[in-house]
Amino acid sequence: MAVRLFSKLKTLPEIRAAYASSAAAAAPVQLSDFDLQHKTPVIRKQQLIPKAHYGGRHAVTMLPGGGIGPECMGYVKDIFKYIGAPVDFEVVDIDPTVDNDEDVQYAITTIKRNGVGLKGNIETKSEAAYVTSRNVALRNELDMYAYVLNCKSFPGVETRHKDIDIVIIRQNTEGEYAMLEHESVRGVIESMKVVTASNSERVARFAFEFAKRNGRKKVTTVHKANIMKLSDGLFLETSRRLAKEYPEIEHNDMIIDNCCMQLVAKPHQFDVMLMTNLYGSIVSNVVCGILGGAGLLSGRNYGDHYAVFEPGTRNTGTAIAGKNIANPIAMINASIDMLEHLGHHFHADLLRTGVNAAINVDRILTPDLGGTATSTEVVDAIKRNISENH
Amino acid sequence: MAARLFTKIAPSAKNGAAQYSSGVRKVTLIPGHGIGPEITVAVQKIFEAAKVPIEWDEVDVTAVRGPDGKFGIPQKAIDSVNANKIGLKGPLMTPVGKGYRSLNLALRKEFDLYANVRPCKSLDGIKTLYDNVDVVTIRENTEGEYSGIEHEIVDGVVQSIKLITEEASKRVAEFAFQFARDNKRKKVTAVHKANIMRMSDGLFLRCCRELATKYPDIKFEERYLDTVCLNMVQDPSKFDVLVMPNLYGDIMSDMCSGLVGGLGLTPSGNIGKNGALFESVHGTAPDIAGKDMANPTALLLSAIMMLRHLQLHEHADRVQNACYTVLREGKSLTGDLGGTGKCSEYTNAIISKLN
Amino acid sequence: MSLISRNIFRALIQGSQHVGKGVHTSAVNLQENVCHASQSISSLQSSAKEGRIKCTLIPGDGVGPELVYSVQEVFKAANIPVDFESFFFSEVNPTLSAPLEDVVSSIARNKICIKGILATPDFSHTGELQTLNMKLRNALDLYANVVHVKSLPNVKCRHHDVDCIIIREQTEGEYSALEHESVPGVVECLKIITAAKSERIAKFAFDYAVKMGRKKVTAVHKANIMKLGDGLFLRSCEEMAKLYPRIQFEKMIVDNCTMQMVSNPNQFDVMVTPNLYGNIVDNLASGLVGGAGVVAGASYSAECAVFEQGARHIFSGAVGKNIANPTAMLLCSANLLSHVNLHAYSKMIKNAINKVLSDGKVRTKDLGGQSTTKDFTYAIISCLS
Repeated sequence: MAVRLFSKLKTLPEIRAAYASSAAAAAPVQLSDFDLQHKTPVIRKQQLIPKAHYGGRHAVTMLPGGGIGPECMGYVKDIFKYIGAPVDFEVVDIDPTVDNDEDVQYAITTIKRNGVGLKGNIETKSEAAYVTSRNVALRNELDMYAYVLNCKSFPGVETRHKDIDIVIIRQNTEGEYAMLEHESVRGVIESMKVVTASNSERVARFAFEFAKRNGRKKVTTVHKANIMKLSDGLFLETSRRLAKEYPEIEHNDMIIDNCCMQLVAKPHQFDVMLMTNLYGSIVSNVVCGILGGAGLLSGRNYGDHYAVFEPGTRNTGTAIAGKNIANPIAMINASIDMLEHLGHHFHADLLRTGVNAAINVDRILTPDLGGTATSTEVVDAIKRNISENH
Repeated sequence: MAARLFTKIAPSAKNGAAQYSSGVRKVTLIPGHGIGPEITVAVQKIFEAAKVPIEWDEVDVTAVRGPDGKFGIPQKAIDSVNANKIGLKGPLMTPVGKGYRSLNLALRKEFDLYANVRPCKSLDGIKTLYDNVDVVTIRENTEGEYSGIEHEIVDGVVQSIKLITEEASKRVAEFAFQFARDNKRKKVTAVHKANIMRMSDGLFLRCCRELATKYPDIKFEERYLDTVCLNMVQDPSKFDVLVMPNLYGDIMSDMCSGLVGGLGLTPSGNIGKNGALFESVHGTAPDIAGKDMANPTALLLSAIMMLRHLQLHEHADRVQNACYTVLREGKSLTGDLGGTGKCSEYTNAIISKLN
Repeated sequence: MSLISRNIFRALIQGSQHVGKGVHTSAVNLQENVCHASQSISSLQSSAKEGRIKCTLIPGDGVGPELVYSVQEVFKAANIPVDFESFFFSEVNPTLSAPLEDVVSSIARNKICIKGILATPDFSHTGELQTLNMKLRNALDLYANVVHVKSLPNVKCRHHDVDCIIIREQTEGEYSALEHESVPGVVECLKIITAAKSERIAKFAFDYAVKMGRKKVTAVHKANIMKLGDGLFLRSCEEMAKLYPRIQFEKMIVDNCTMQMVSNPNQFDVMVTPNLYGNIVDNLASGLVGGAGVVAGASYSAECAVFEQGARHIFSGAVGKNIANPTAMLLCSANLLSHVNLHAYSKMIKNAINKVLSDGKVRTKDLGGQSTTKDFTYAIISCLS
């Protein structure tokens, strides 16, 4: 016993040292484009930093991003103040026209220390190879491997299909979005798709765990393993293996093209859907379309230590920015998810009831949902409903 | 671990001043580094002009490699202080790096300097926000938080030991009361935090209380450290002599010198079993060294303290008056006090006021 | 031996990876109510249903009850929707004191508390080394103490425009209450500094600076002497500072810091300190702007916030004389209101305090006036708009 304790003491510094060295390895040095693309480790070791949670209040990083982001964030702040949500926002603006990554790096740092972020879509104007997409950079840097999109019908929104309730879980850091591209011969570009066993396992476990804890019945793995036998095969194999650990949850798999067809024809057969990066992007946009457009749903990015909330479809909406017609519901739903994540269930419920009443009962809808209301009218309707219900 | 420190503390000797007879006294002089040599020369000149019966025994304490391979003070300097039992020291610089022992620490250990005395008095002519400060801080110098016993128990958890002993606490308390009596002070305040550190500071407090009964002519009061901080910056005239453990003394003494204009104006004395060492506690200011710009006031006031320690009160008063007059007139002040004078001009001004 | 230790090392590494897994599953756990279906209002803050907020109240010792009464009067006059849950809690009067568990559970439930000063006697009859204050802090893990020292209008002081925030770790360090007498006449007192708590307080300080839009954080230490203990604290602060590239980070030795404080306090912005130094700097800074009666403070844990005076003195000489200054306590209550999102009421009280102080007609004794605590309270009430 004593020996065990003693050796435990001895090994503790070693672990620290191991952590320290891995942190040092991840430190940015002068890297060429090639290094940047090929040697960036897929799984980043994250050090634990104490959460910004003081006296019952949380600090949250807010990245307004481009397009309709800033106005939607304004509505969120407004409503949070109205309901007294115990959240303090730290706003970080990212200048889309600047070529360097300083702002993005700072934004990542703030999320690391706050633990939680709320973000709009960040624009990347530069097309140089070394400037990676800022949204992707953010996800990779923070190792947020799982993306969750809750797709649930709003009765107040006219759609062809009613009562849809699907959860999409998407691998968020690798696959087609590995950003490994090169021109091997002139006129021939190779783009690499990376699937790793460890990342596949993490996201699959997340999906099954999620299904189990939320009382879901079925997990569907979406893939293209008939063509990409090794990469998607690995992903499929992993999810099959993990399914055995969760016998109470039904597991099936579906090929992506078939899946899209089934979604528009018979969406009710789906419960929880698990897929790699690109398929996730496709499927979530399809489902958003079925449910009434880009302006409603919110998505969540999870890593081991961090969580970032954003509107579901990741579109900037630059065309309608500043016209007071953007749909604020997606961002507000993202903020509800955030409140839930932070454990402020009371305020989350308050806000959710307000949103549901405004859409489903009062039917105050923006033009994208077939209504005529302006963004501010929607926000006011939500506030009114909150005070009436409260 | 505790025993190591404990054995160092032999039964306390009475304040050594009384044993010195009049006549020419030999004093070890350690000029120090940086501006040290200039300001010691200034003090020497003033003392010579004032005909103070002191013979300087100047020693160099530039670190030499000792038999153990570490750098330390030369044996000659130690012998000199041991023989003279009294010393005056300019600022010392401890080179950063391994293998160098702090010279200040070495001297403190060598002579067992257990009490640090710093009188802080508002000086006419020095504008600060406080004009009625007259406090003396007496600090226990050998134990407490600075015991140097620290270890990392597990990774990320450090434990430091604060050591309070009855011997050392009594010794410094007795010195404080004796000092108050000798210098015609009215009150001694024990500064402590016994409401939090109930045993350790409690012991210190008990020793002070015990000694207070032996000095009925001196008023004794106890104050919490935080209360003293609060009241000191509001109304410093509430305090007279303060006695406290090591860390509190370190903080309070610097704060009090802040009240009267900084370390360049505060003298400091270290009283020990084997002798006494008076020093200026400011830095070596290497950037102005050799430019005749340094302010010798702190060292001069320390030297005056030394004269009083040697019972040479007449000489002390003369030099002190001259110094205060020059400061009050404010004509040849050095750059740090907002004047334009040189160190030598300032020295000469004091000499001219001696009579 | 080495084989065993290697194996255990591996096991620990794997264990640490599992910790990571545990965290992500806990992230899932928080998603219990994922559906957008309307939910019944959670029982988390059932009192908020009627729009009223519950707050624990500890009047404390000395002049505490008088000051707390003044706060209650103002709240009543302004019709502020806060209900107090009052506990008599005292160390000098242990027989009447409410049990620690009751007070702790009340604060944990309400998440907010307003607290007068608790007297801490030099010794306890039971030989207890921990004070009641320390027990309360440890039970609730109130690790961060924030004191905002700001010059008030028309309060005569030597220094002007002082505006600094002092953040103090208050659960470890010198206040560990680990003391023993190893040999008769020799007492050892342990000061404990841990990396985890140092990092936590450093992060708190930086986050607070970000929240308040401050520019600089100064770490106060004595690492030149206590190389390991304060060194660890300092290193933790340095590590954290790297996460905040837009905030300047500075270090200062505590004795120099006190000296700078009394001669040039305007150079300080946010300060982060270990336990004892924080106590010193808090009181020192409070003295600069008018004393214990005008400086508000607050202690935070992850979940709760306890609002109390910045410099804690029971001021026992003034008990029952109706002369204590309620400004600090009223500022605390205003901070409490803004913490629970009642900004309008908070502003109202703050404006009233500023107005009464700038008019200068009603002043308590510590600010050079002759008015009583009651006079001052009524002056505030009449200025509420």
